[in-house]
Amino acid sequence: MQVTLMQGILIGIFAIISGIDFWWEGFYIFRPMIVCTITGMILGNITLGIVAAGLTELAFAGLTPVGGTQPPNPIMAGIMTVVLAYTTGKSPATAIGLALPFSILMQYIILFYYSAFSVLTKKLDTYAANGETKKYTQLALLPTWIVGLSYGIIAFLCVYGAQAPMKDLVNSMPVWLSHGFEIAGSILPAVGFGLLLKSMLKARYVPYLLIGFTAACFIKFGNLMPVAVIGVALALIEYNRSKKDAENEKKMKAVMENANNNGDDEDGI
Amino acid sequence: MESKKTETPKRGKLTKHDVRMLGIRSLFNQSAMNYERMQADGWTLAMMPALKKIYKDDKEGLADSLKSNLQFINTNNYTAPLLMGLEASLEENGEKRSTIDGLRIALFGPLAGIGDAITWFTILPIVAGITASFAKQGSILGPLIFFLVYLAMFFARIPIAQLGYTTGTKAISKIRENSAIVSHAASVLGCTVIGGLIATYVQITVKTKIPVSAGHTIALQTQFFDRIFPNILPLGYTFLLYWLLKKKNVSPVILILATFIFAILFSWLGVL
Repeated sequence: MQVTLMQGILIGIFAIISGIDFWWEGFYIFRPMIVCTITGMILGNITLGIVAAGLTELAFAGLTPVGGTQPPNPIMAGIMTVVLAYTTGKSPATAIGLALPFSILMQYIILFYYSAFSVLTKKLDTYAANGETKKYTQLALLPTWIVGLSYGIIAFLCVYGAQAPMKDLVNSMPVWLSHGFEIAGSILPAVGFGLLLKSMLKARYVPYLLIGFTAACFIKFGNLMPVAVIGVALALIEYNRSKKDAENEKKMKAVMENANNNGDDEDGI
Repeated sequence: MESKKTETPKRGKLTKHDVRMLGIRSLFNQSAMNYERMQADGWTLAMMPALKKIYKDDKEGLADSLKSNLQFINTNNYTAPLLMGLEASLEENGEKRSTIDGLRIALFGPLAGIGDAITWFTILPIVAGITASFAKQGSILGPLIFFLVYLAMFFARIPIAQLGYTTGTKAISKIRENSAIVSHAASVLGCTVIGGLIATYVQITVKTKIPVSAGHTIALQTQFFDRIFPNILPLGYTFLLYWLLKKKNVSPVILILATFIFAILFSWLGVL
């Protein structure tokens, strides 16, 4: 299948909107769940978009911009997964792997911008010191427009410009290679989960991880709701227990202080 | 004489609408994100109308406040409105500049911790996990639910800003007291769900069959790994990656590339 010029432009426009959304972290339309669905809609195959959305969202579940870090870009991953599955006829799972270089390209562009926008701080300081709020507003919003525009241009070039060479490349791949990409796509969520665990797993949380894992292995249900409910129950138990502990600690401290005061009195007598 | 003037609490009062707008404007928090001082430029942009209203004609005071707000800050985008509301109430009451700045700097770290634990490490895995199970079957419910959840999350910025504004200085001890407990409970929920996600969404199936005697083979996956414990390979691989990330400080991009090389190699060998 071919991406038309009109479709390429529409995807570019959507990339601008979702790019700004990612920059601001506003409505989360930058997550693959939404990006893939909209891209599928633009290409006239929404079912392909939605299926790719489920797969890509999970592959990127742990790749989050926490604390000012930049993960491989979820927008370009989402757009290119759907576009490559659409143009080459490969399964979305294979396309995730093929989309990865585009995603990493965008990641590095954003990292470059993080450094580059530091040059604006001096000028912003001057405007702030002079109380020039209008000028400040204009300049503080400039990075947003630059980032949005970059997304639009890059998405358009990757989608429309690179489709023919990508198609040739993919079609000349031997079966074991495209199968390898497919396998990689289904293992990829492990990297994201590993990253999530890096930020949150401590020795005392390992039991909960094991409970969740075992529950999901043996509860046969269409989605993760049962595991989430078990998690909520465990969280409530822990919340109440920690609260009680904190209160007891306070009481203990009060008692200790009283005891010390009494002791002083006795010494005094 | 100017510096004395800023201490007098002859300041403008924010209306309910102003505080709501502060919640909405917290969207600008990352508008000029950069490595030098992270969110500071966007943070100040979000605070600007509120500060202008508070300082009215006191140009000197406004400039002072803007300059102070331009110090390094990096917090979570959903707890930012709480801190913005809190700061607005302090500015309005004419607290000392050093008090306001000290509190902002003291609180943005703990608030980032609690906000990230709740939004990125708990809500996102749960919402992604559940909506992906719909989406994988081609159901529009997946993206639809996802969108509605995050639309609600966006509008939650308004009550969060109001909470910061109304509780004012009272909020500080509360945040300090409860942030550890809430992050702890969120981590329990998050880890349980991630355990479930590993079992459900990481897929490694070994195709190799080992011949034991003439005409008899053992399929490694169904007759060996699955009999020990289902999904034991995904769990093992995730823990390997976790170990590499945590103890060896390997970059995630390297691990993604390594996963691809590993998958393609084993595909070529016919193992996976």
